[in-house]
Amino acid sequence: MTGGEFIVRLAQIWLTAGAVTGALFLTIGMDRIDEDARGAYVFRPLLVPAVLLIWPLVLWRWFVLETGRDNWAARHRPPRKQHLVVAIVLAGLILISLTAGLMVRQSWPGDVAPEQLTRAVGEGQ
Amino acid sequence: MSVKYIPVQWNPNKWYYDAALLAGVVLFLWVFIYLTPGALGHDRPINPQIHNARAFGACAFLMLTVILCIGPLARLDRRFLPLLYNRRHFGVLTCAVALTHAFYVLNWYFAFSATDKYAAVLEANTSYGQLAGFPFESLGIFALLCLLILAATSHDFWLKFLTPPVWKSLHYLIYPAYAAIVGHVALGALQDQQNLTFAWIVCVGAGLVAGLHVAAALKEQLAGDYEGGGGDWIDICATSAMTEGYAKIAQLPDGDRVAVYLNEGRLSALSNACAHQNGPLGEGKIINCLVTCPWHGFQYNVTNGRAPAPFTEKVPTYRVRVENGTVMVHRQANPPGTYVEPVPLPSAEGAV
Repeated sequence: MTGGEFIVRLAQIWLTAGAVTGALFLTIGMDRIDEDARGAYVFRPLLVPAVLLIWPLVLWRWFVLETGRDNWAARHRPPRKQHLVVAIVLAGLILISLTAGLMVRQSWPGDVAPEQLTRAVGEGQ
Repeated sequence: MSVKYIPVQWNPNKWYYDAALLAGVVLFLWVFIYLTPGALGHDRPINPQIHNARAFGACAFLMLTVILCIGPLARLDRRFLPLLYNRRHFGVLTCAVALTHAFYVLNWYFAFSATDKYAAVLEANTSYGQLAGFPFESLGIFALLCLLILAATSHDFWLKFLTPPVWKSLHYLIYPAYAAIVGHVALGALQDQQNLTFAWIVCVGAGLVAGLHVAAALKEQLAGDYEGGGGDWIDICATSAMTEGYAKIAQLPDGDRVAVYLNEGRLSALSNACAHQNGPLGEGKIINCLVTCPWHGFQYNVTNGRAPAPFTEKVPTYRVRVENGTVMVHRQANPPGTYVEPVPLPSAEGAV
Protein backbone atom coordinates (compact mmCIF):
# COMPACT_ATOMS: atom_id res chain seq x y z
CA MET A 1 0.00 0.00 0.00
CA THR A 2 1.42 3.38 -0.99
CA GLY A 3 1.35 6.48 1.22
CA GLY A 4 -1.47 8.01 -0.78
CA GLU A 5 -3.57 4.85 -0.64
CA PHE A 6 -2.98 4.66 3.12
CA ILE A 7 -4.30 8.21 3.62
CA VAL A 8 -7.34 7.48 1.43
CA ARG A 9 -8.00 4.32 3.48
CA LEU A 10 -7.77 6.31 6.72
CA ALA A 11 -10.25 8.84 5.30
CA GLN A 12 -12.66 6.02 4.42
CA ILE A 13 -12.43 4.62 7.97
CA TRP A 14 -12.98 8.11 9.42
CA LEU A 15 -16.08 8.67 7.27
CA THR A 16 -17.44 5.21 8.11
CA ALA A 17 -17.10 5.95 11.84
CA GLY A 18 -18.83 9.26 11.16
CA ALA A 19 -21.69 7.49 9.37
CA VAL A 20 -22.23 5.14 12.34
CA THR A 21 -22.10 8.08 14.78
CA GLY A 22 -24.49 10.05 12.58
CA ALA A 23 -27.00 7.20 12.37
CA LEU A 24 -27.12 6.94 16.17
CA PHE A 25 -26.97 10.64 16.95
CA LEU A 26 -29.51 11.88 14.43
CA THR A 27 -32.09 9.20 15.27
CA ILE A 28 -31.65 8.69 19.02
CA GLY A 29 -29.16 11.11 20.59
CA MET A 30 -30.48 14.39 19.26
CA ASP A 31 -33.96 13.95 20.79
CA ARG A 32 -32.40 13.17 24.16
CA ILE A 33 -30.20 16.25 24.41
CA ASP A 34 -32.05 18.98 22.50
CA GLU A 35 -35.64 19.77 23.35
CA ASP A 36 -36.02 21.95 20.24
CA ALA A 37 -35.11 19.03 17.97
CA ARG A 38 -37.98 16.82 19.17
CA GLY A 39 -40.49 16.51 16.36
CA ALA A 40 -38.24 18.39 13.92
CA TYR A 41 -36.90 16.04 11.24
CA VAL A 42 -36.63 17.99 7.99
CA PHE A 43 -33.37 19.72 8.94
CA ARG A 44 -31.58 16.57 10.12
CA PRO A 45 -30.20 15.48 6.71
CA LEU A 46 -28.45 18.87 6.59
CA LEU A 47 -26.42 17.82 9.62
CA VAL A 48 -25.05 14.59 8.10
CA PRO A 49 -21.94 16.12 6.40
CA ALA A 50 -20.81 17.71 9.67
CA VAL A 51 -21.22 14.50 11.68
CA LEU A 52 -19.15 12.64 9.07
CA LEU A 53 -16.34 15.19 9.46
CA ILE A 54 -16.33 16.07 13.17
CA TRP A 55 -17.80 12.94 14.77
CA PRO A 56 -15.34 12.88 17.72
CA LEU A 57 -16.51 16.39 18.66
CA VAL A 58 -20.13 15.25 18.30
CA LEU A 59 -19.52 12.29 20.61
CA TRP A 60 -17.81 14.55 23.18
CA ARG A 61 -20.65 17.10 23.23
CA TRP A 62 -23.27 14.34 23.32
CA PHE A 63 -21.49 12.86 26.35
CA VAL A 64 -21.28 16.27 28.08
CA LEU A 65 -24.97 17.02 27.55
CA GLU A 66 -26.14 13.49 28.42
CA THR A 67 -24.25 13.51 31.70
CA GLY A 68 -25.34 17.04 32.67
CA ARG A 69 -21.80 18.40 32.63
CA ASP A 70 -22.63 21.37 30.40
CA ASN A 71 -21.51 24.68 31.88
CA TRP A 72 -24.04 27.36 30.86
CA ALA A 73 -21.66 30.21 31.74
CA ALA A 74 -19.05 28.94 29.26
CA ARG A 75 -21.53 29.54 26.41
CA HIS A 76 -21.17 33.27 26.91
CA ARG A 77 -17.39 33.54 26.83
CA PRO A 78 -16.38 34.29 23.24
CA PRO A 79 -12.72 33.63 22.33
CA ARG A 80 -12.02 37.33 21.72
CA LYS A 81 -8.59 37.47 23.31
CA GLN A 82 -7.02 35.64 20.36
CA HIS A 83 -7.99 38.29 17.80
CA LEU A 84 -4.66 40.15 17.81
CA VAL A 85 -2.53 36.98 17.83
CA VAL A 86 -4.58 35.45 15.00
CA ALA A 87 -4.35 38.66 12.95
CA ILE A 88 -0.57 38.89 13.33
CA VAL A 89 0.02 35.20 12.58
CA LEU A 90 -2.32 35.36 9.55
CA ALA A 91 -0.59 38.48 8.20
CA GLY A 92 2.83 36.85 8.71
CA LEU A 93 1.82 33.63 6.93
CA ILE A 94 0.34 35.58 4.02
CA LEU A 95 3.51 37.65 3.69
CA ILE A 96 5.76 34.56 3.83
CA SER A 97 3.61 32.68 1.28
CA LEU A 98 3.54 35.53 -1.21
CA THR A 99 7.24 36.31 -0.82
CA ALA A 100 8.17 32.65 -1.24
CA GLY A 101 5.92 32.29 -4.27
CA LEU A 102 7.28 35.39 -5.97
CA MET A 103 10.91 34.53 -5.14
CA VAL A 104 10.82 31.18 -6.88
CA ARG A 105 8.71 32.47 -9.77
CA GLN A 106 10.90 31.88 -12.78
CA SER A 107 9.09 34.39 -14.95
CA TRP A 108 9.48 37.17 -12.36
CA PRO A 109 9.89 40.08 -12.94
CA GLY A 110 9.78 39.60 -16.72
CA ASP A 111 10.08 36.76 -19.18
CA VAL A 112 13.15 34.62 -18.60
CA ALA A 113 14.03 31.22 -19.96
CA PRO A 114 12.50 28.46 -17.76
CA GLU A 115 14.85 26.27 -15.77
CA GLN A 116 14.20 22.55 -15.52
CA LEU A 117 13.91 21.67 -11.82
CA THR A 118 14.12 17.89 -11.97
CA ARG A 119 15.08 15.41 -14.61
CA ALA A 120 12.28 13.82 -16.61
CA VAL A 121 11.70 10.08 -16.36
CA GLY A 122 14.10 8.29 -18.67
CA GLU A 123 16.36 11.32 -19.02
CA GLY A 124 20.07 10.57 -18.59
CA GLN A 125 21.70 11.30 -15.20
CA MET B 1 -33.13 32.64 12.90
CA SER B 2 -35.32 29.64 13.68
CA VAL B 3 -37.70 28.18 16.21
CA LYS B 4 -37.38 24.43 16.70
CA TYR B 5 -35.07 24.52 13.66
CA ILE B 6 -37.84 25.74 11.37
CA PRO B 7 -36.85 29.01 9.65
CA VAL B 8 -39.26 31.73 10.70
CA GLN B 9 -37.49 34.86 9.62
CA TRP B 10 -36.36 34.41 6.03
CA ASN B 11 -36.89 38.06 5.28
CA PRO B 12 -36.41 39.92 1.94
CA ASN B 13 -32.91 41.06 2.97
CA LYS B 14 -31.72 37.46 3.08
CA TRP B 15 -33.19 36.78 -0.37
CA TYR B 16 -31.50 39.91 -1.77
CA TYR B 17 -28.19 38.93 -0.14
CA ASP B 18 -28.28 35.42 -1.60
CA ALA B 19 -29.45 36.66 -5.02
CA ALA B 20 -26.58 39.18 -5.12
CA LEU B 21 -24.14 36.41 -4.15
CA LEU B 22 -25.30 34.06 -6.90
CA ALA B 23 -25.36 36.85 -9.48
CA GLY B 24 -21.83 37.87 -8.47
CA VAL B 25 -20.49 34.31 -8.85
CA VAL B 26 -22.15 33.82 -12.25
CA LEU B 27 -20.88 37.20 -13.45
CA PHE B 28 -17.33 36.48 -12.28
CA LEU B 29 -17.25 33.07 -13.99
CA TRP B 30 -18.70 34.51 -17.19
CA VAL B 31 -16.15 37.35 -17.29
CA PHE B 32 -13.27 34.98 -16.46
CA ILE B 33 -14.21 32.33 -18.99
CA TYR B 34 -15.52 34.37 -21.90
CA LEU B 35 -14.31 37.96 -21.67
CA THR B 36 -10.80 38.11 -20.27
CA PRO B 37 -8.76 35.00 -21.10
CA GLY B 38 -5.97 37.19 -22.52
CA ALA B 39 -5.85 39.60 -19.60
CA LEU B 40 -5.53 36.78 -17.10
CA GLY B 41 -2.58 35.12 -18.75
CA HIS B 42 -4.33 32.39 -20.67
CA ASP B 43 -2.21 33.21 -23.68
CA ARG B 44 -1.28 29.60 -24.19
CA PRO B 45 -4.03 27.32 -25.49
CA ILE B 46 -5.74 25.36 -22.73
CA ASN B 47 -8.71 23.06 -22.85
CA PRO B 48 -12.13 23.94 -21.35
CA GLN B 49 -11.58 21.63 -18.36
CA ILE B 50 -8.47 23.55 -17.23
CA HIS B 51 -10.07 26.88 -18.06
CA ASN B 52 -13.06 26.02 -15.87
CA ALA B 53 -10.79 24.81 -13.07
CA ARG B 54 -8.95 28.13 -13.12
CA ALA B 55 -12.18 30.11 -13.24
CA PHE B 56 -13.68 28.35 -10.21
CA GLY B 57 -10.35 28.47 -8.34
CA ALA B 58 -9.98 32.20 -8.92
CA CYS B 59 -13.62 32.74 -7.95
CA ALA B 60 -13.17 30.80 -4.68
CA PHE B 61 -10.05 32.83 -3.83
CA LEU B 62 -11.83 36.11 -4.48
CA MET B 63 -14.93 35.04 -2.49
CA LEU B 64 -12.85 33.97 0.49
CA THR B 65 -10.91 37.22 0.32
CA VAL B 66 -14.16 39.21 0.44
CA ILE B 67 -15.55 37.06 3.26
CA LEU B 68 -12.44 37.61 5.34
CA CYS B 69 -12.55 41.37 4.74
CA ILE B 70 -16.14 41.66 6.01
CA GLY B 71 -15.34 40.83 9.66
CA PRO B 72 -12.57 43.41 10.25
CA LEU B 73 -14.38 46.01 8.11
CA ALA B 74 -17.45 45.68 10.34
CA ARG B 75 -15.25 46.07 13.42
CA LEU B 76 -13.59 49.15 11.95
CA ASP B 77 -16.77 50.78 10.63
CA ARG B 78 -20.33 49.85 11.66
CA ARG B 79 -21.66 50.69 8.17
CA PHE B 80 -20.30 47.33 7.00
CA LEU B 81 -22.35 45.38 9.59
CA PRO B 82 -25.15 44.49 7.10
CA LEU B 83 -22.59 42.45 5.15
CA LEU B 84 -22.17 40.19 8.19
CA TYR B 85 -25.86 39.37 8.18
CA ASN B 86 -25.82 36.35 5.88
CA ARG B 87 -22.09 35.67 5.72
CA ARG B 88 -22.58 31.97 6.42
CA HIS B 89 -24.42 31.58 3.10
CA PHE B 90 -21.46 33.32 1.46
CA GLY B 91 -19.15 30.75 3.09
CA VAL B 92 -21.22 27.74 2.01
CA LEU B 93 -21.33 29.01 -1.57
CA THR B 94 -17.55 29.56 -1.49
CA CYS B 95 -17.06 25.96 -0.36
CA ALA B 96 -19.22 24.75 -3.27
CA VAL B 97 -17.17 26.83 -5.74
CA ALA B 98 -13.88 25.56 -4.27
CA LEU B 99 -15.15 21.98 -4.44
CA THR B 100 -16.05 22.46 -8.11
CA HIS B 101 -12.50 23.72 -8.73
CA ALA B 102 -11.09 20.63 -7.00
CA PHE B 103 -13.21 18.23 -9.03
CA TYR B 104 -12.28 19.87 -12.32
CA VAL B 105 -8.59 19.46 -11.39
CA LEU B 106 -9.04 15.93 -10.10
CA ASN B 107 -11.08 14.77 -13.09
CA TRP B 108 -8.63 16.15 -15.60
CA TYR B 109 -5.09 15.84 -14.27
CA PHE B 110 -5.67 12.61 -12.32
CA ALA B 111 -8.54 10.97 -14.18
CA PHE B 112 -6.25 8.72 -16.21
CA SER B 113 -3.90 7.80 -13.37
CA ALA B 114 -2.93 4.15 -13.01
CA THR B 115 -3.85 4.34 -9.31
CA ASP B 116 -6.94 5.66 -7.56
CA LYS B 117 -7.23 9.36 -8.44
CA TYR B 118 -7.58 10.42 -4.80
CA ALA B 119 -4.39 8.56 -3.92
CA ALA B 120 -2.69 9.86 -7.07
CA VAL B 121 -3.24 13.51 -6.12
CA LEU B 122 -1.45 12.82 -2.83
CA GLU B 123 1.46 11.04 -4.47
CA ALA B 124 1.98 12.94 -7.72
CA ASN B 125 4.45 15.33 -6.14
CA THR B 126 6.12 14.69 -2.79
CA SER B 127 8.94 17.24 -3.02
CA TYR B 128 8.13 18.80 0.35
CA GLY B 129 11.78 19.68 0.93
CA GLN B 130 12.01 22.32 -1.79
CA LEU B 131 10.25 25.60 -2.39
CA ALA B 132 10.41 25.61 -6.18
CA GLY B 133 8.11 22.82 -7.28
CA PHE B 134 6.59 22.47 -3.78
CA PRO B 135 3.49 20.21 -3.84
CA PHE B 136 1.05 23.10 -3.61
CA GLU B 137 -1.85 20.68 -4.11
CA SER B 138 -1.54 19.60 -0.47
CA LEU B 139 -2.12 23.19 0.68
CA GLY B 140 -5.27 23.30 -1.43
CA ILE B 141 -6.48 19.96 -0.03
CA PHE B 142 -5.95 21.20 3.54
CA ALA B 143 -7.84 24.43 2.80
CA LEU B 144 -10.68 22.54 1.12
CA LEU B 145 -10.99 20.25 4.14
CA CYS B 146 -11.24 23.31 6.40
CA LEU B 147 -13.88 24.90 4.15
CA LEU B 148 -15.88 21.65 4.17
CA ILE B 149 -15.86 21.56 7.98
CA LEU B 150 -16.93 25.21 8.16
CA ALA B 151 -19.70 24.81 5.58
CA ALA B 152 -20.94 21.55 7.11
CA THR B 153 -21.17 23.10 10.60
CA SER B 154 -22.85 26.31 9.45
CA HIS B 155 -26.38 25.31 10.53
CA ASP B 156 -27.66 26.98 13.72
CA PHE B 157 -27.99 23.56 15.33
CA TRP B 158 -24.18 23.33 15.54
CA LEU B 159 -23.97 26.70 17.27
CA LYS B 160 -26.36 25.56 19.95
CA PHE B 161 -25.00 22.02 20.26
CA LEU B 162 -21.28 22.85 20.28
CA THR B 163 -21.82 26.18 22.14
CA PRO B 164 -20.86 29.50 20.49
CA PRO B 165 -17.28 29.60 21.91
CA VAL B 166 -16.46 26.08 20.64
CA TRP B 167 -18.17 26.83 17.32
CA LYS B 168 -16.24 30.08 16.97
CA SER B 169 -12.96 28.33 17.83
CA LEU B 170 -13.72 25.66 15.20
CA HIS B 171 -14.47 28.40 12.68
CA TYR B 172 -11.07 29.97 13.38
CA LEU B 173 -10.01 27.27 10.86
CA ILE B 174 -10.83 29.89 8.23
CA TYR B 175 -7.52 31.61 9.02
CA PRO B 176 -5.14 28.67 8.43
CA ALA B 177 -7.35 27.78 5.45
CA TYR B 178 -6.85 31.22 3.91
CA ALA B 179 -3.11 31.20 4.61
CA ALA B 180 -2.93 27.76 2.93
CA ILE B 181 -4.90 29.05 -0.06
CA VAL B 182 -2.52 31.98 -0.48
CA GLY B 183 0.36 29.48 -0.40
CA HIS B 184 -1.55 27.20 -2.80
CA VAL B 185 -1.96 30.08 -5.27
CA ALA B 186 1.51 31.59 -4.76
CA LEU B 187 3.32 28.28 -5.27
CA GLY B 188 0.87 27.06 -7.89
CA ALA B 189 -0.98 29.33 -10.28
CA LEU B 190 1.39 32.29 -9.83
CA GLN B 191 4.34 30.18 -10.97
CA ASP B 192 2.72 29.54 -14.33
CA GLN B 193 1.38 32.97 -15.16
CA GLN B 194 3.35 35.13 -17.56
CA ASN B 195 0.83 37.92 -17.20
CA LEU B 196 1.13 40.15 -14.11
CA THR B 197 -2.61 40.91 -13.73
CA PHE B 198 -3.36 37.77 -11.75
CA ALA B 199 -0.28 38.24 -9.54
CA TRP B 200 -1.40 41.77 -8.67
CA ILE B 201 -4.96 40.64 -7.89
CA VAL B 202 -3.65 37.95 -5.52
CA CYS B 203 -1.14 40.24 -3.78
CA VAL B 204 -3.60 43.11 -3.30
CA GLY B 205 -6.41 40.79 -2.12
CA ALA B 206 -4.27 38.88 0.37
CA GLY B 207 -2.58 42.09 1.52
CA LEU B 208 -5.99 43.65 2.16
CA VAL B 209 -7.04 40.69 4.30
CA ALA B 210 -3.81 40.85 6.32
CA GLY B 211 -3.90 44.64 6.73
CA LEU B 212 -7.57 44.85 7.71
CA HIS B 213 -7.21 42.09 10.31
CA VAL B 214 -4.22 43.72 11.95
CA ALA B 215 -5.90 47.15 11.88
CA ALA B 216 -9.16 45.86 13.41
CA ALA B 217 -7.34 43.86 16.10
CA LEU B 218 -5.17 46.85 17.01
CA LYS B 219 -8.21 49.12 17.17
CA GLU B 220 -9.94 46.66 19.50
CA GLN B 221 -6.78 46.33 21.59
CA LEU B 222 -6.26 50.08 21.92
CA ALA B 223 -9.93 50.88 22.62
CA GLY B 224 -10.36 47.96 25.04
CA ASP B 225 -13.35 47.65 27.34
CA TYR B 226 -13.17 49.22 30.75
CA GLU B 227 -11.98 46.60 33.25
CA GLY B 228 -13.87 46.89 36.50
CA GLY B 229 -12.15 45.87 39.73
CA GLY B 230 -12.96 45.62 43.43
CA GLY B 231 -14.94 43.08 45.45
CA ASP B 232 -18.20 41.39 44.52
CA TRP B 233 -19.67 44.64 43.18
CA ILE B 234 -17.75 45.95 40.20
CA ASP B 235 -17.61 49.64 39.22
CA ILE B 236 -18.80 50.14 35.65
CA CYS B 237 -19.02 53.91 35.09
CA ALA B 238 -20.38 57.15 36.50
CA THR B 239 -24.15 57.52 36.27
CA SER B 240 -23.63 60.61 34.12
CA ALA B 241 -21.89 58.48 31.48
CA MET B 242 -25.03 56.45 30.74
CA THR B 243 -27.03 57.28 27.59
CA GLU B 244 -30.71 56.45 27.23
CA GLY B 245 -31.28 53.45 24.92
CA TYR B 246 -27.63 52.37 24.89
CA ALA B 247 -25.19 50.35 26.99
CA LYS B 248 -21.82 50.68 28.65
CA ILE B 249 -19.66 47.58 28.22
CA ALA B 250 -17.16 46.50 30.87
CA GLN B 251 -14.94 43.50 31.44
CA LEU B 252 -15.40 41.67 34.73
CA PRO B 253 -12.46 40.19 36.69
CA ASP B 254 -13.21 36.67 35.34
CA GLY B 255 -12.95 37.95 31.73
CA ASP B 256 -16.69 37.96 30.98
CA ARG B 257 -18.09 41.14 29.48
CA VAL B 258 -21.20 42.79 30.81
CA ALA B 259 -23.42 45.34 29.07
CA VAL B 260 -25.28 47.78 31.36
CA TYR B 261 -28.26 49.44 29.64
CA LEU B 262 -30.22 52.54 30.43
CA ASN B 263 -33.80 51.95 29.37
CA GLU B 264 -36.51 54.51 30.20
CA GLY B 265 -34.39 55.87 33.02
CA ARG B 266 -33.70 52.48 34.61
CA LEU B 267 -30.61 50.31 34.58
CA SER B 268 -30.41 46.64 33.56
CA ALA B 269 -27.42 44.44 32.81
CA LEU B 270 -26.94 41.50 30.45
CA SER B 271 -24.02 39.40 29.30
CA ASN B 272 -22.40 41.17 26.37
CA ALA B 273 -22.32 37.87 24.41
CA CYS B 274 -25.37 37.09 22.28
CA ALA B 275 -26.63 33.50 22.72
CA HIS B 276 -26.48 32.98 18.95
CA GLN B 277 -22.87 33.68 17.91
CA ASN B 278 -21.63 35.63 20.95
CA GLY B 279 -22.03 38.90 19.04
CA PRO B 280 -21.49 42.16 21.00
CA LEU B 281 -24.97 42.74 22.45
CA GLY B 282 -23.87 45.92 24.19
CA GLU B 283 -23.34 47.60 20.82
CA GLY B 284 -27.03 47.23 20.02
CA LYS B 285 -29.73 49.84 20.62
CA ILE B 286 -32.81 49.29 22.79
CA ILE B 287 -36.20 49.57 21.13
CA ASN B 288 -39.33 48.72 23.15
CA CYS B 289 -37.25 47.20 25.96
CA LEU B 290 -35.54 44.86 23.47
CA VAL B 291 -31.86 45.12 22.59
CA THR B 292 -30.93 43.95 19.09
CA CYS B 293 -27.62 42.18 18.42
CA PRO B 294 -25.79 44.14 15.69
CA TRP B 295 -24.52 40.94 14.05
CA HIS B 296 -27.64 38.95 13.13
CA GLY B 297 -30.57 40.79 14.67
CA PHE B 298 -31.33 38.50 17.64
CA GLN B 299 -33.29 40.41 20.29
CA TYR B 300 -33.45 40.17 24.08
CA ASN B 301 -35.53 41.81 26.79
CA VAL B 302 -33.02 43.79 28.87
CA THR B 303 -34.78 42.97 32.15
CA ASN B 304 -34.68 39.17 31.85
CA GLY B 305 -32.32 38.36 28.95
CA ARG B 306 -35.01 36.41 27.10
CA ALA B 307 -35.71 36.61 23.37
CA PRO B 308 -39.36 37.54 22.61
CA ALA B 309 -41.70 34.64 21.77
CA PRO B 310 -41.64 32.46 19.73
CA PHE B 311 -37.82 32.58 20.07
CA THR B 312 -36.23 30.74 22.98
CA GLU B 313 -32.69 32.16 23.22
CA LYS B 314 -31.59 33.44 26.64
CA VAL B 315 -28.55 35.28 27.98
CA PRO B 316 -27.33 35.67 31.58
CA THR B 317 -28.40 38.75 33.53
CA TYR B 318 -26.58 40.66 36.27
CA ARG B 319 -27.68 42.53 39.39
CA VAL B 320 -27.14 46.29 39.22
CA ARG B 321 -26.92 48.99 41.88
CA VAL B 322 -25.99 52.67 42.06
CA GLU B 323 -23.72 53.93 44.84
CA ASN B 324 -22.15 57.37 45.20
CA GLY B 325 -22.93 58.26 41.61
CA THR B 326 -21.34 55.06 40.28
CA VAL B 327 -23.10 52.27 38.38
CA MET B 328 -22.05 48.88 39.79
CA VAL B 329 -22.70 45.29 38.72
CA HIS B 330 -22.45 42.13 40.81
CA ARG B 331 -19.68 39.96 39.38
CA GLN B 332 -21.77 36.78 39.63
CA ALA B 333 -23.97 36.26 36.56
CA ASN B 334 -27.52 34.99 37.01
CA PRO B 335 -28.54 31.92 34.99
CA PRO B 336 -29.74 32.88 31.49
CA GLY B 337 -33.27 34.29 31.43
CA THR B 338 -33.38 35.37 35.12
CA TYR B 339 -35.49 38.48 35.70
CA VAL B 340 -33.78 41.32 37.55
CA GLU B 341 -35.75 44.36 38.69
CA PRO B 342 -34.35 47.41 36.83
CA VAL B 343 -32.71 50.02 39.06
CA PRO B 344 -33.82 53.67 38.66
CA LEU B 345 -30.98 55.98 37.69
CA PRO B 346 -30.92 58.86 40.24
CA SER B 347 -30.21 61.48 37.61
CA ALA B 348 -32.44 59.90 34.96
CA GLU B 349 -34.01 63.20 33.92
CA GLY B 350 -30.59 64.58 33.05
CA ALA B 351 -29.48 61.51 31.17
CA VAL B 352 -32.55 61.20 28.93
